[in-house]
Amino acid sequence: MTSTVQTTTIALVGNPNSGKSSLFNQLTGLRQKVGNFPGVTVDRKVGKMKLSNSQDVQVIDFPGTYSLYPNSEDERIVAAAFCDLDEAHRLDAIIYVADSTHLEKHLLLFTQLHDLGYPMLLALSMNDIAVREGIAVDQEKLSEELGVEIIAFDGRTALANAEIQSAIERLLEQPEHTQQKPFYSFSEAEKEVITAIKADVNTKNDYQALLLAHHQNWLPHLRETQRSSIQQATEKVDFQSLKWQIRETMQRYDGFNTIVRKVFQRVGEDRTFSDRIDQILTHRFWGVLIFFALMLLVFQAIFAWAGYPQDAVEEVFGWASTQLQDRLPDTWYTSLLTDGILPGLAGVLVFVPQIAILFLLIALLEEVGYMARAVFLFDRLMQHFGMNGRSVVALISGGACAIPAIMSTRTISDWKERLITIMVTPFISCSARIPVYVVLVAFVVPAGKVGFISWQALAFMGLYLLGIGTAFVAAWILKKVLKAESYSFLLLELPKYRTPRLRDVALTVWEKVKSFVTEAGRIILIVSMALWFLASYGPGDKMEIAEQNAVEQAAERNLSSEERDNLIAAQRIENSYAGIVGKAIEPVIRPLGFDWKIGIALVTSFAAREVFVGTMATIYSIGSEEDEYKIQEQMAKEKHADTGQPVYTMAVAWSLLIFYVLAMQCVSTLAVVKKETNSWKWPAIQFIGMTILAYLASLLTYQILS
Amino acid sequence: MKLAPNEKGVLMEFTDDRIASKLITMGVFPGTTIELVRYAPFKGGCYVKVDNRAIAIRRDEAQCILLQA
Repeated sequence: MTSTVQTTTIALVGNPNSGKSSLFNQLTGLRQKVGNFPGVTVDRKVGKMKLSNSQDVQVIDFPGTYSLYPNSEDERIVAAAFCDLDEAHRLDAIIYVADSTHLEKHLLLFTQLHDLGYPMLLALSMNDIAVREGIAVDQEKLSEELGVEIIAFDGRTALANAEIQSAIERLLEQPEHTQQKPFYSFSEAEKEVITAIKADVNTKNDYQALLLAHHQNWLPHLRETQRSSIQQATEKVDFQSLKWQIRETMQRYDGFNTIVRKVFQRVGEDRTFSDRIDQILTHRFWGVLIFFALMLLVFQAIFAWAGYPQDAVEEVFGWASTQLQDRLPDTWYTSLLTDGILPGLAGVLVFVPQIAILFLLIALLEEVGYMARAVFLFDRLMQHFGMNGRSVVALISGGACAIPAIMSTRTISDWKERLITIMVTPFISCSARIPVYVVLVAFVVPAGKVGFISWQALAFMGLYLLGIGTAFVAAWILKKVLKAESYSFLLLELPKYRTPRLRDVALTVWEKVKSFVTEAGRIILIVSMALWFLASYGPGDKMEIAEQNAVEQAAERNLSSEERDNLIAAQRIENSYAGIVGKAIEPVIRPLGFDWKIGIALVTSFAAREVFVGTMATIYSIGSEEDEYKIQEQMAKEKHADTGQPVYTMAVAWSLLIFYVLAMQCVSTLAVVKKETNSWKWPAIQFIGMTILAYLASLLTYQILS
Repeated sequence: MKLAPNEKGVLMEFTDDRIASKLITMGVFPGTTIELVRYAPFKGGCYVKVDNRAIAIRRDEAQCILLQA
């Protein structure tokens, strides 16, 4: 062990929907850090709080779980933490959060943790709802029966921090109780296993030894010698993990329900309010309709409302860039700053409004209790495609931007369902594809109307449908290809509706934005700088020669200074590394109908799809990328140098459109996928798979149409 | 579990240990009264109520629940 003094660590544990996270937010506020539990992408929230005696305490917010017998990845985290034999990972005490309106269901895990011998504090949540529903809990008696101190709190009239703090201080002074009577009495066979395990493995107590026997196959931190002695111990008796679990759970329920009956009184009727709302919100017709109306609102919010702050970000950076260009000498570092770093930063910050708005709405829906209903409504439909009811939210949000959509999949607890959702979300046409669609659709589709719908609108819709269709086909294929490790359940509690706590919502938004900027932002910035290098530098003095040529040409043709600058930019990019890459990939993209100029745009728009339009503007020496009409005009004029045929035929434009629908042309999304899957493997597969698919589809389109 | 919407029954036993262990953990065990409130659309899962608590379960999960006759 290292010499540093260990910080005191308190575990915050409770059932799903127990109000645990709210207490965590109250205790730690902004002093929390979200990371991953080792090896998995389950949020690990750790916060710090200072006690009144100025002792620093670390609080870990564990995923909500019903029992130490886990069924999902995040529930396993809890079981693993309490089966950890390493002293360095020791937890000093537990604050157990239980919903006071469902006390008869929320104490199972409490009795298990109690039997592990930890000092515990019982925090009863939803105190306000309990009062409203006419529920009375005799706290004094409960405290006496369970042998722990009890505090009661609710979301709005926050419990005074002083009161919690002094309770925590008393909690930390408690020794581990080894003498208290456990809730569960072992069977003879269980005693045998426990004795055998304890002979070889140094466990905390008897109950922990029993848990090791149940979880020996998957516990991550067991050494092989320990694993084999546990295995031998279980082989001596007729060890039946599931049967024993059921026996234990039933006995525990019997035990604590006897206590709960003594202290718990309900006068009013329960749930009638939530039941009435659910008659509509989970209705097979109205429920679905309302869901899509809500999603339309979410879509509108990300798509349209985020536009204002996004424009502001772009304007500020554009202004900063001009200012710097005017004030700094015209050298490489000014260019790096104004054409590499600033656009990179802008490229990161421009997503912040979308991420903030999406998570504001998602957190609100989650807090209110609606999300569980959405899962209930769409679970079956999405199951066909290997996804989860929650995937619907990600797919719809993907229509605005894949980045917040992929970040929102954290709420899907099944790894396979979550992975499939992450992999197919980028097929949904995001807002960054729109500028590309606008330019190209206007180019190939006549402006006429059929009835009152324009042909161009139909083409737009076709492109969106192609993306959606591909997403579902890809999901179906992934479902068949990926091996399921876990047995998938629904078994989801539908919590009561309640007013959202704004502090909890705000913290979620803050945390999502922060993690995007710091983690994905880094990768985006590096790639933007690399792309800047490719577009600004060329081998030897080729770019200087090209620039001189352009200056001479401009003088010969008597061009205005603006036209001259545009011509120089076009000639420079042709001779830059990006131009060389464009020319190098020309043989590969030629069968799709693309020339090297489109190749350059494909390379540069890897930073973000909308860069395509800007690059085309530069290549065709049009100063402003705003002028879509001019770009179209130039595209129509563009001819192949060797054959004299027009470059942009119907076939080429459609081929390019199909390519943009299907290709993974977004480094930011890849950065987020890397972050969310915790490996380079999945973004690599996604990039290669989507690019190959886009290539083949474009090839087919071009060959059929030309 | 053969219930029509808004019908109640008393849970007798489970036919699948894995689902049994999960449901028991959530407080759904033999002897409790279970009410089927409604089905989800698209041939989806069941909205059930057990002791004032609403739980969503898939139809195949519900198949593992046997009720007292």
